[in-house]
Formats: sequence, structure tokens, C-alpha cells
Amino acid sequence: MKKIITLEVNGDLHEVAVAVHQTLLEVLRDKLGLTGTKRGCAVGTCGVCTVIIDGKAMLACLLLAVECQGRSITTIEGISSADELHPVQQAFVDQGAIQCGFCTPGIVMTSKALLDKTPRPDDEQIREALAGTFCRCTGHIKIMEAVKTASQYERAEKKSD
Amino acid sequence: MRLLRFEHFKPSSLEEALTAMQESAGNVRVLAGGTDLLVNMKCGLEQPGLIVSIGSLPELNTIAEDPSGDLRIGAGMNLSELAENSLLAAKAPALRDAIKSIASQHIRNMATLGGNVCLDTRCWYYNQSKLWRASRPACYKTGGDQCHATRGSERCHAINSADTAPALIALGAQVVVQKKGSQRQIPAEDFYRDHGARHTVLEPDELLSGLVIPCGNETGKTHFLKISRRQGIDFALGSIAAHLAGNGSTCHSARLVIGSLGSAPIVLEKTAQVLVEAGLSQESIQAAAEAARSELGVLTTLFSSAGYKRDLAQVLVKRVLHSFIKKPTTQKRTRR
Repeated sequence: MKKIITLEVNGDLHEVAVAVHQTLLEVLRDKLGLTGTKRGCAVGTCGVCTVIIDGKAMLACLLLAVECQGRSITTIEGISSADELHPVQQAFVDQGAIQCGFCTPGIVMTSKALLDKTPRPDDEQIREALAGTFCRCTGHIKIMEAVKTASQYERAEKKSD
Repeated sequence: MRLLRFEHFKPSSLEEALTAMQESAGNVRVLAGGTDLLVNMKCGLEQPGLIVSIGSLPELNTIAEDPSGDLRIGAGMNLSELAENSLLAAKAPALRDAIKSIASQHIRNMATLGGNVCLDTRCWYYNQSKLWRASRPACYKTGGDQCHATRGSERCHAINSADTAPALIALGAQVVVQKKGSQRQIPAEDFYRDHGARHTVLEPDELLSGLVIPCGNETGKTHFLKISRRQGIDFALGSIAAHLAGNGSTCHSARLVIGSLGSAPIVLEKTAQVLVEAGLSQESIQAAAEAARSELGVLTTLFSSAGYKRDLAQVLVKRVLHSFIKKPTTQKRTRR
């Protein structure tokens, strides 16, 4: 059973023919070529497929693409501008909060969703948000530092605007 | 792990959904948040021919106080929204605490209350990929005639890990179940069956549409707590919800419900009796905890040993009762 749906991804509208049993993750990666969103466990525990839908961090592996019509989807490809990284991305680079990098897109999107809602999160709020993501290379200490740095960058950016 | 083919129907009203459920009964599942169902489908544990998507039905996305003061919550309400809902926080903070303890923010952003209430039971031998399961004969839950977790058992012992279940039972909630042309309301306690393979009383054409929490003339307080291996995304090793009504150290009524230790939430009647008779004090808490230990009945070694579960129940009862006599501690947060 196929359906033609319109998906709003990173501000662009895409008309795609999808099978109803395809997940948003499969459509993003295989149909739209947006391979920044990674496929990890595929059962909702690792968080590497995190995308932001209507302002909330969600798991693309557990959403049917047909259910995402009419919702605003942001993927890792959609957060930086043409020549500048998003403050969260910059903070991850500056803090070295990356090892192999596979979990990073999901963690960056999770952090962005957190900071959009809570610009000055405390440690517990950061921990709670990151609890849905896994970094299997290293710990989450540098990642937490990066989220705090990103919060500072974003506030500095807002001040200079 | 990919999903296999199915038909997808997005009804525009609850009535349409119930019609579809009736027409395809036995071959249909409702999809709300999808965080439990789609995982099971990916593992080949369920293969419905039709998915009825009810997540965005307006009838199921409401929370309101009815004229008698009771709280009515639609089954389709999102868990993150409920966790932040001021009406729920005021009327049933224990349910709010239970909701906050579920999985991760990502999952709560997608999952619904009805989905958690109906959460499938879990087992080491069940929640595995198709390939993994192929190395053993089928069990009760997968259509066979044995239980791998408890050899020689006559039923499935998969564990009910729904965190909202003990809270709802302790609160005396009613579950609203609908099918085409009829509706029934069941006490949350009777909604669950002590059978891992068929753990709720829902019929194949029925749908859980909402919950009613009596708050009208309730004076008591309810507390919930959960113990799990990890503080983050994890199922409970054991959880407890307790509802006490009384003033000071006397106790008119008590309800204690333990979750995640068996195939259904366990209502601790004798333990509650101890509290009603002896009131709430350091001594009665000790006596209640010991009563809970002996009241649990036969437990299965699944996710943790039966002995550990007994110890855990004792600790859960103690901790939850202490939270009634302790002044609520404000959560310490270290500011950066």
C-alpha cells in the first residue's frame, strides 16, 4: 500500500511516494537522501535517529512516514546555515564531544530541542534530555560540557543580534 | 529490522476507528504513539494486517475535570504533555510522577497514556528478534505451549512493566473501554489479568478510550516510586504506588500497589490492612513492609531473581510509606 504524501523537512516541502509501512527514518535516508539522521538500534533505545518534530525531539525509527504529514520536521542537515555551524554543532566541535561521531547527529538534535525550550538548562535537565541517547565510544561528560557551552553560545548570539 | 507490510487507516473520528476495529477484529491493532507496538512489529512479535492510527483523534486528546470533580483523561494524551499538565499535577501528582519515570524524553514525546496502560508484557525470551527466538520452541506468548522463564508452568509469566498501572490502581481509576455501539467502564485493577500472554481484558474489537480518576471527594494522598537499574531510559525492576487517606497518624483507608514484579500489578491487601489497623508510624511501616514480603505469593525469576523481588517489595513499601510522613523534600538541583 503506497501513498503520496507531502513532508515538510527543514522548511522544504517534499512530495514523496511512500509505502505505509516505511518509517520516517527510511524515507529521510533512502528517498530524500538525508543520511545525516543515523539508523542505530531501530527500536527506540539509542536515540541516534533523533529529529525535531514540531519542536520536540522524536525518534524517526518509530514513526511511520505517513503519520508525519503536516508536521514540521527538522533534521541535522537543517540546523546550520550555508557557511556557519549551528551553535550546538560548534560547541560539540570546540569541546571535543565527539569520538566516532555516529551518535552525534542524534545528540546534537536532542540538545537543540532541549535548548530551544530551556535556554539555560541545569545539569539535571541536560541529563534527563540526554538519557534517551547513547554514546558507546566514551562517556557523556564532554557532551554535557558541550551542551552547556552551546547554551552560552546561543545566549551570546542573541545578545549580539 | 524493518516493518513488514500492512494496511494503514487514519480515521477522522472515534466512531470510524471503532467501525474499522470491528470489521477487522483479530487482524487489527491500534497505533497511537507507536513506541511499543512498532518495536514489537519490527521484532516480528505482532503482524496485524491493518493499523488504525488513533494518535491524533481529537476525542482521545482531552484532559478535563468533570462536574463531580473527577479527572477524565483521553487515552491519546501525549505523555510529555501530561507530565507538564497543571491539572494533572494538581489532581493526581502520583500519576504525573509515574508518567515522568517512563522511558526517555524522546519516547514520552511520542507515546500516549493509553499506550502505556496497555503496554505489552515483557520477557527475556519474548522481547528478542525473530532470529534469536528461532533457536527455541515457541512459548505461550508466541503461540507455543511452554514458558521458558518458568519451566513447567501452565501460563506465561511475562512481566507487566507499565509504570502508570500501579499509580492508576492506587488512585482508584476507572478504565473506559469502547467498541462499536457500546462502552464499558472497568476499575483499573480489573483491567489487568495475571497472565503474561493475555494481560488485559481488552477484546480484539475494543479500544481503550480514556481514564477516569476519582478526585471529587478524595482526601487522601498518593505517592509513586520506581526502582530501575539505570536512572535514565529503563523499565522498572519494581515500582509502587500508595494511596493513604486519614489524618496525622491514623489511616482510614490504604491502597498499595506494586508494579513490574509480575504479569499484573499486585494489590497488597494485607499490607494495607496493617496500616489501617495500626496507623502510620515507624513501627507500622516496618510491620507493613514485612507483611508485603509474605503477601507477594509466588514470584518468577525474570529480569531479577524471585528472592530479590521480595527484598525489593519490602524496600518499596518502606520508602513509599516514609514519603507520607516525611515533609516533601524539594529536589536539589545544582546550578551551573
